[in-house]
Amino acid sequence: MDYGHEPYDVIVCGAGHAGCEAALASARMGVRTLILSGNIDTIAQMSCNPAIGGVAKGQIVREIDALGGEMAINTDVTGIQFRLLNVSKGPAVQSPRAQCDKRAYALRMKHVLERQENLSVFQATVTGLIFRDGCVVGCETNLDVNFFGKTVIITTGTFLRGLMHIGRNKNEGGRMGDYSAKTLSQSFLDAGIELERLKTGTPPRLLGRTIDFIKLEEQKGDPDPTLFAFHDTRDESDMFHVEHPGESFVGWTPGTDQVSCWITYTSEKTSEIVNANLHLSAMYGGEIEGTGPRYCPSIEDKIVRFADKPRHMLFLEPEGRHTNEYYINGLSTSLPLETQMQMMATIPGLESVHLLRPAYAVEYDFAPPTQLFPHLESKKVENLFFAGQINGTSGYEEAGCQGLVAGINAACKARGDEPLVLKRHDGYAGVLIDDLVTKGTQEPYRMFTSRAEYRLLFNHGSSELRLLDYAKRYDLISKERVARIERKRNEIEKIVNWMETNRRGESAWATIVRRGIEDHELPKEVLDLDPEVRNEALYRVRYDGYLKRELRQIEKLKDVEKVRLPADFDYHSVRGLKKESALKLSEIKPANLAQASRISGVNPADVSILMVALGK
Amino acid sequence: MTYQQTDTIAAVATPQGESAIAMIRVSGPDCRGLSKSVFRRTNDPRPRHSYHSTYYSVSGEALDEVVYCFFEEPKSFSGDDTLEVSCHGNPLIATRVLEDLIERGCRQADPGEFTRRAFLNGRIDLTQAEAVMELIQARSDKALQAANNQLRGAFGRQLGELKNDLVDSIAFIEAYIDFPEEDLPEEKKDEHVARLQRLIDFCSRLIDSSKYAAFLRDGVKTLILGEPNAGKSSLLNCLLGFERAIVSEEPGTTRDFLRERIILGSHSIQLMDTAGLREPESGIEKEGIRKTIELVEEADVFLLVIDSSLPSPDLPDEIRNKLTNENCIVLQNKIDLGDPLPLSDYLQSLPNLPISATNSTGIENLKTVLVDIIDTSFSCQDDDLILVNTRHSEALKGMLACLNGALEKFQNDEAAELIASDMRGALDAIGQILGRIDNEEMLDHLFSSFCIGK
Repeated sequence: MDYGHEPYDVIVCGAGHAGCEAALASARMGVRTLILSGNIDTIAQMSCNPAIGGVAKGQIVREIDALGGEMAINTDVTGIQFRLLNVSKGPAVQSPRAQCDKRAYALRMKHVLERQENLSVFQATVTGLIFRDGCVVGCETNLDVNFFGKTVIITTGTFLRGLMHIGRNKNEGGRMGDYSAKTLSQSFLDAGIELERLKTGTPPRLLGRTIDFIKLEEQKGDPDPTLFAFHDTRDESDMFHVEHPGESFVGWTPGTDQVSCWITYTSEKTSEIVNANLHLSAMYGGEIEGTGPRYCPSIEDKIVRFADKPRHMLFLEPEGRHTNEYYINGLSTSLPLETQMQMMATIPGLESVHLLRPAYAVEYDFAPPTQLFPHLESKKVENLFFAGQINGTSGYEEAGCQGLVAGINAACKARGDEPLVLKRHDGYAGVLIDDLVTKGTQEPYRMFTSRAEYRLLFNHGSSELRLLDYAKRYDLISKERVARIERKRNEIEKIVNWMETNRRGESAWATIVRRGIEDHELPKEVLDLDPEVRNEALYRVRYDGYLKRELRQIEKLKDVEKVRLPADFDYHSVRGLKKESALKLSEIKPANLAQASRISGVNPADVSILMVALGK
Repeated sequence: MTYQQTDTIAAVATPQGESAIAMIRVSGPDCRGLSKSVFRRTNDPRPRHSYHSTYYSVSGEALDEVVYCFFEEPKSFSGDDTLEVSCHGNPLIATRVLEDLIERGCRQADPGEFTRRAFLNGRIDLTQAEAVMELIQARSDKALQAANNQLRGAFGRQLGELKNDLVDSIAFIEAYIDFPEEDLPEEKKDEHVARLQRLIDFCSRLIDSSKYAAFLRDGVKTLILGEPNAGKSSLLNCLLGFERAIVSEEPGTTRDFLRERIILGSHSIQLMDTAGLREPESGIEKEGIRKTIELVEEADVFLLVIDSSLPSPDLPDEIRNKLTNENCIVLQNKIDLGDPLPLSDYLQSLPNLPISATNSTGIENLKTVLVDIIDTSFSCQDDDLILVNTRHSEALKGMLACLNGALEKFQNDEAAELIASDMRGALDAIGQILGRIDNEEMLDHLFSSFCIGK
């Protein structure tokens, strides 16, 4: 490989879930890409639970797939249990979720990177960035070799000054067994990029053969698994990036031979132990300064804040087919190891369990994402992009979709093309990035469906249709797949139209569907369709009024969305604009008027004034 | 830059408060249609031509006699189709016209929106626009300050509570959407419904209280009635403390209606003097008396002035039917001329007081009794409930409609995310009063009510 001479177009620092998507996206767009990882055995490592998807997150994974990313296929191929969540609710909030074989997931992703054209993988720890005239031009590594690139993407996750806590015990590192990137933080600070601290935690891992499964409740996968990738619009060669057609990389066919998860609960004895040892907890003992997530509290947090709850649910998730390790979801803690073991003895089924790895809390630096443009480039340093947990998010899916967008945009920047800016009405990926760059975050940010104002439009099945125009414009998927999606879109429109215009008796089929009808009573024209087409068409017909209402709201905002705000716009010179508003606007540098209006403290009168000032 | 207008906006363009004329400006694509439906025209109005017409509300009620003018785009203030409606300067009329336009699908204009459209359509230049904008900003800051002061008060507390309950209700629904895998307490539909019902009641109560806001804003309408020359104008002057109505010995002098505002105790009172109640001899008076009867319909309280030196008059049925013990005081005027003659049985059955408007005898007593009547019948018992303006009641009505939609969906067992969609609409509506409510606030409620994080 060629380092030090001709600069790369894109250098990705970090090969986690954000880094992998970033590197693949830019390489697939045809630009020379380098991905650096301190340890290439941990590429696409699932540092926390061995699962992908879930409510809102499942939709994100399908959006990643729609934009040509790898996470969906990688999950389908290496998944060992699949469940569709929220089946009792409407399609808009139903989400796929999968348990994955953790090693297989990482290994397959590594293999995909290895085989990707235009992409070099190299093991080196990035120790600092190289700047020239306010732009980033490359990075320094622990091997005393520098790499130069037109653009650099930072996807370092929790590794920046990562500090792990188990009670009073402290270890430097971004993940158990890994190192901490200590000098890179200084490089950011030198460039004027602000850093803050966040905290997250992970539960203990248990040895399966020491678990008494008789006492646990079994949770099986769905007999008819919902996969993440849109297999209906791909042909085999487009589907398997590593496997040869007809061959399985992992040894099983996606969705088959599923394994179970198991449910147990903490007991009142567990609460007693936690309460008696609170002073030893790193979080309660004041050892940790960072803010943790509200939606994923430690067990000590749950027991203190919900003192009247007699027990807390725990999920045991298998980490893979070829390991006996179990992840115990719900028992994240920073209590000392000894207390952790005492707690286990009080949990039905885990009385004599063997701990393979302890739970720990990790504190790390993140760069508040309000320092980024909506295309994820830094406002302070040109050509420098940020994606994933470094931006204050949590979750593989959130990281993956940022990585994808950063990868696309770094490639665009290297080629001198216009960046991709997703809008809030495009999907969860758009909501995520807009929230981050407009409002920032106080805790590790996780996606919820409630964050999306247009969530009825974001049913997982429509991801590919919603994002097709971007996939086409940025050349993210094959021409053949574009053609198939277009055909699918037309078929859906045709059958929706058919249902609106054709009748049974007095009423149009659409009216009958809206009133409620059993599937088998549907007309042949509908029943005969491909299930993906049928489901989407029925969804559109059934929810027509609601979907139109959301589309009208989007339409209303289009005017303000069209009004672009230049990054160097001098807000202080605008007559009539309040000082506080001018300050906020100068800091966030919104891309357009719609984004400006979402900044807290910017009121409608400010927006009017900006509109006038911009009409020049 | 091209700028497409998708909706039609409306606002009262003249300053708030009493004035001779109030002007409501409407701008956007619906103006042409509105000028037909509101003024019952069959053809398009001629642009830039003033018409005199009755303004009919969407329910068919005649709101006022107005002058309107239609401006065709681009030859208008904003550059879009514009309709300007000039009505009488009573703030209540202007408000009702605006409310009606909103009911017909217009949106209340944001501060500066007309100017913004004008600028973007190239009707005014930047300097002009900036000057107007600065004014608007200053005014909106003041309005904001006023609103904040108001929101710090009882009304604000009520709204805050309403919002809190709403956010809580939403959090309870969202928890089950976003966290189906968590060990949440079993979802109980009847609890959702009970919470929603409480919200609906609360919201309706706030909307109902808006009628008290009208009393506050426009005063309790107090009509002075009586035969010609019974001393109605003298009484008005006496209450006002200065000579306002033309007082004359010649019966029928007050042909127009005088409206004056006085403050009694904590109440604002709008005094309306009328022409005398007597078989008219001239056409002008006939018109006056017809109007008196119309005013009787509008009034809240009646001061029936009689000349105590003459036998009790007979009252037309339209008036008699309106008078009750709770809304009327019979004033036996002119006691300075001698002992009053006894009242008819009917008048005797109503509250009555002897006064002399010429030398102010009994006036203090009258004020006390009047305040008592208003206290009993026209003030909100719950003094926390006060609604203030169209914007507030428009927002609350929007909220109520969304809540009712959500309730209906609960009853029909529809999907949670559709119910949530209505609830979100309700939140947006109250956000129009309190400022946009961030989703973070809902999440705060959610995470403090539910133990999330299996």
